[in-house]
Amino acid sequence: MPHRLELTGITKAFPGVLANDNVSFSVRPGEIHALLGENGAGKSTLVKMIYGIMQPDAGEIRWDGAPVVVANPKAARKLGIGMVFQHFSLFEALTVLENIALGMDAKIPSRELEARIREVMTKYGLLLDPHRTVATLSVGERQRIEIVRALLLDPKLLIMDEPTSVLTPQEVAQLFEVLRKLAAQGCSILYISHKLHEIKALCDTATILRGGKLVDTCDPTQETSRSMAEKMIGAGLKDIVRAEGRSMGLPKLVVSRLSTKKTGHFEVPVDSISFTVRAGEIFGIAGVAGNGQNALLDALSGEILGDDKDAITIDGYGIGLLDTTGRRKRGLCAVPEERNGHAAVGDFSLSDNSILTARDRLGMVMMGLINSGAARTYTGKVIADFAVKALGPSSMAGSLSGGNLQKYIMGREILQKPSVLVVSQPTWGVDAGAAAAIHQALVDLAAAGSAIVVISQDLDELRALCDTLAVVNMGQLSPARPVAEVSIEEIGLLMGGVHGATEASHAIPA
Amino acid sequence: MDLMLAILITVVGASTPILIAALGELVVERSGVLNLGVEGMMLIGAIAGFVVQFHTGNSYLALLAGAGAGVCASLIFGFLTLSLSANQTATGLALTIFGTGFSALAGSSYSARPVTLMRPLFPAEFAASPFTKVLFGYSFPVYFAFIMVAAIWYFLHRTRAGLILRAVGENDQSAHSIGYSVIGVRYMAVMFGGAMAGIAGACFPLLLTPQWAERMTAGRGWIAVALVVFASWKPFRLLAGAYLFGLVMTMELYAKAGGGPLSVIPSELWAALPYLATVAVLVLISIRRDASTNAPACLGKPFLPSN
Amino acid sequence: MQFRLEKRREPSKLMSYATPVAAVLLTMVLGAVIFSVIGYDGIGAVREIFLTPLTNSYKWQDLGVKAAPLIIIGVGLSIAYRANVWNIGAEGQYIVGGLAGTGIALLTWGMTGWWILPLMVLAGMLGGMAYASIPALLKTRLNVNEILTSLMLTYASVQLIYYLIRAPWKDPMGMGFPQTRLFSEAARLPTIIPGTIVHLGVPIAVLVGLVAWFIMSKSVFGYRMRVVGAAPHAARYGGFSENRTIWLAMLVSGGLAGLAGVLEVAGPFQRMVPGFPTNYGFTAIIVAFLGRLNPLGVIVAGVVLAITFVGGEVAQTTIGLPNAATGIFQAMMLFFLLAGDILIKYRLRRVMPQATAGTA
Repeated sequence: MPHRLELTGITKAFPGVLANDNVSFSVRPGEIHALLGENGAGKSTLVKMIYGIMQPDAGEIRWDGAPVVVANPKAARKLGIGMVFQHFSLFEALTVLENIALGMDAKIPSRELEARIREVMTKYGLLLDPHRTVATLSVGERQRIEIVRALLLDPKLLIMDEPTSVLTPQEVAQLFEVLRKLAAQGCSILYISHKLHEIKALCDTATILRGGKLVDTCDPTQETSRSMAEKMIGAGLKDIVRAEGRSMGLPKLVVSRLSTKKTGHFEVPVDSISFTVRAGEIFGIAGVAGNGQNALLDALSGEILGDDKDAITIDGYGIGLLDTTGRRKRGLCAVPEERNGHAAVGDFSLSDNSILTARDRLGMVMMGLINSGAARTYTGKVIADFAVKALGPSSMAGSLSGGNLQKYIMGREILQKPSVLVVSQPTWGVDAGAAAAIHQALVDLAAAGSAIVVISQDLDELRALCDTLAVVNMGQLSPARPVAEVSIEEIGLLMGGVHGATEASHAIPA
Repeated sequence: MDLMLAILITVVGASTPILIAALGELVVERSGVLNLGVEGMMLIGAIAGFVVQFHTGNSYLALLAGAGAGVCASLIFGFLTLSLSANQTATGLALTIFGTGFSALAGSSYSARPVTLMRPLFPAEFAASPFTKVLFGYSFPVYFAFIMVAAIWYFLHRTRAGLILRAVGENDQSAHSIGYSVIGVRYMAVMFGGAMAGIAGACFPLLLTPQWAERMTAGRGWIAVALVVFASWKPFRLLAGAYLFGLVMTMELYAKAGGGPLSVIPSELWAALPYLATVAVLVLISIRRDASTNAPACLGKPFLPSN
Repeated sequence: MQFRLEKRREPSKLMSYATPVAAVLLTMVLGAVIFSVIGYDGIGAVREIFLTPLTNSYKWQDLGVKAAPLIIIGVGLSIAYRANVWNIGAEGQYIVGGLAGTGIALLTWGMTGWWILPLMVLAGMLGGMAYASIPALLKTRLNVNEILTSLMLTYASVQLIYYLIRAPWKDPMGMGFPQTRLFSEAARLPTIIPGTIVHLGVPIAVLVGLVAWFIMSKSVFGYRMRVVGAAPHAARYGGFSENRTIWLAMLVSGGLAGLAGVLEVAGPFQRMVPGFPTNYGFTAIIVAFLGRLNPLGVIVAGVVLAITFVGGEVAQTTIGLPNAATGIFQAMMLFFLLAGDILIKYRLRRVMPQATAGTA
């Protein structure tokens, strides 16, 4: 029996980068095959070529034994290749049914389509109301649309691109059930991820990419997480160095009953959140994307203004009515999740980007005029101290890679020596080296006596980094627990909105 | 009563070009493109329609010429904003400046030379009584506008092509990754908008004032753009909005014609009224609710595939 | 052989300076071709429109007088557009500024005193600001699109002129002409070069450009405008409120348009007439873009557009080119400029037909 999919010598170059360098591997029918690698290792480029979004510069794709040219996604679907994207290709203002219809190449009357959708949904236990507008669905439900859309085509190969990055542990378990069921019926699955424990739990084979090159194809059940991680990263893993015998200081950041108003249609507001972070403490906030994290960060940074002065205090001083500039002067710096366009301006030089948040704390403004020399000097220091790969302070922020831009942004805030730092997704889409550097910088800042809040969807990151952990769900925050005392199952339940026994204590204000 | 019917007939005539132009712009905006060149395309359509009507006397040919000229003008906009991803706001303004200059140049030898108005669609017997005249007394573009309201609604909400068009306007990156040609869909929409604006422009010499005058559309193209916002991108609301403006403009005509209570107010205020009413309408729609909630999510943003 | 666009690592500075020049040159070449094709003397038209005003020193004073309002308004618009505030009603703010100045001139008619002109200028700027504050208020309070409101108000302001000069402000000695009386000496802008029509507004325009350049490149105000325009979300994060920025952008651009209006009415016109709206407010949009939204560039672009105005008049008398041709040349310049914008962020690469993937 021929391989379902066979790649030989696939090469793809972009200006300045070789995204895929002579990559070869194959997938058998019914096999769950992991494609493992760091951000930027070339996984996405590779699957885009399989799905026909891009064309390889060299190499051959064979399908059921015969060489093929996948000219576009339509051709891919015709072959029997389905794909579920990491960033869903969904239309928020349209209904589930309309979204699925858009993904079908054949024109099917909507009543017939609806019947077929319901059939697939029951078969795989993917329940959804076809007439609901996508904007009203949770992330997990949205992913189900993508999966149903792919399954309607009876695919012989299903590509899943980082499917679990936005799911709760329980949703992940459900997804795995569906994938195993599919594989048992002969559908091959190409599973792209960088989460090693998932690959060990699900996949039959793993192909590991690093820097565009194939490193190894192995059996994940025979490997340890650590051995796969080392193949993926290429060097021995560095652990975060914590200062010995660290003790927490007095409460520094106190948030009490912080709420925000509902702004957009789809934005989840913050609902009466209370927590305390002591000097030297790293406080983690877990949660599935879209549960109010953005509103919480904006409310803490001052981008959304509240009406209660004492909803947020630093060392007992109420800053609830101050704007971002006022809060920075009081020692609170923040780093939002979105780097380009929110934390930094892509079209500005790094030096100009330093003026954005450091101008007042570091005296870059005199009588309304900008001291660009001071901004350049400071930017140079950030670049040097955080090993940012950039030509210099006059490089455009947009020309930096995601990891380097994040290092610059974190450095820009941390070198201002804030007494409170709030960061969202500090290492999202960042390579392991940069992530380790950022984690170390946060730990060091905490050791120097700052209070740090980390909002993240990456539980591994939070568990490695934080002293205390709470979970945000639908704008509400669970009670904080020392990180050593909570199990991943408990966190999972909280992320799914089940507060269980702790429900009662939640009502008591801090 | 007869006066009321006469006013109604004038209102229908005055609102038809705005309605046609706005319907075109609605489709364009639903695809995620903001073409502020409607006024310019209307002027180009007006002069094309006028010249053909002047030389052939065939009003249908004149409408066709208006549509063709509008499409050509829209292709300039399309090429710049879609193929070269130029700023849509600036390009739309440039198109209006161009249309104003082009139509003035093309029309410079036609000033003060009258044409005949377009004939009613139905034979005169149908419109013998005042009541039947309200229903059957108009020329083709009036009925065309009505049909297009329903047709565009049907297209957007009941056809696959309409679904694709809305999808492209809602999330261009997703539409691209599923495999639709975002640029192709938008070109079609922009050309449709051009054709409608051109027809709307040709209606000015054919329905309203049977001669060529520089800038004869007098900002109606801009009002059409505003109406699309007012209608929250829904065709049937556009119908209501356009007729409201037809009423305002008809009041201006009656006030200028003199007599009656309307002439107490200075004629300049009547002339300014459609524009002030546009501002008022935009304000009202914003007070009622957040007007932007219905806007296509990608409106005005240039599309560049992310890979 | 095919061409492909390839994203540059960093935006090209060279291209952002080269494309406006290329746009003007392309307009001249293509303009000559197009006008020849449609039956005019194309080369003559380009020569008269673009070169005669420069070679004929007698026309230089006209250039200065035409460029001044274009530069003043264009500078204001360049600041607003930087912040992504689309004030396209500068013509209306120019008109209201002119009317406010006229009001002062009529109130002080027959009086003398150095204070009259400064008062008129102040009134003009306040008038422009007040008219621009309507779209600003509607935008910040109700999120009403400022493009539509500022433009609609322009149409309305034209009617305001007609009303005022037909009724309350009509010249009692004007034999029924709808216009105001001629301003008194003290309300007229002095000429600065004796024997020419070059008035005080010309050096003021250059000064406005220079000051604006300094502010935009060196001050927090300029930084605010740039950051709000480039990334509004990041601006909010950096502590710059979007509403405040919209207000500032509208007031500055409106105030400068009003300044241009009062300088025009006190300078070249010296009375309010129906022909006062001369489209400077719309042409200044082209000036702002051609000047790359940089006040120094706007000074140069203002002169270029002034050349086409003066040249358009020349071409009308010498080779009978309709006045509307000027507008076409101006629009073409803007089209080419916008088309060339893509070369700032992308480069054109020649690609050979791709070797097909796979050996089948």
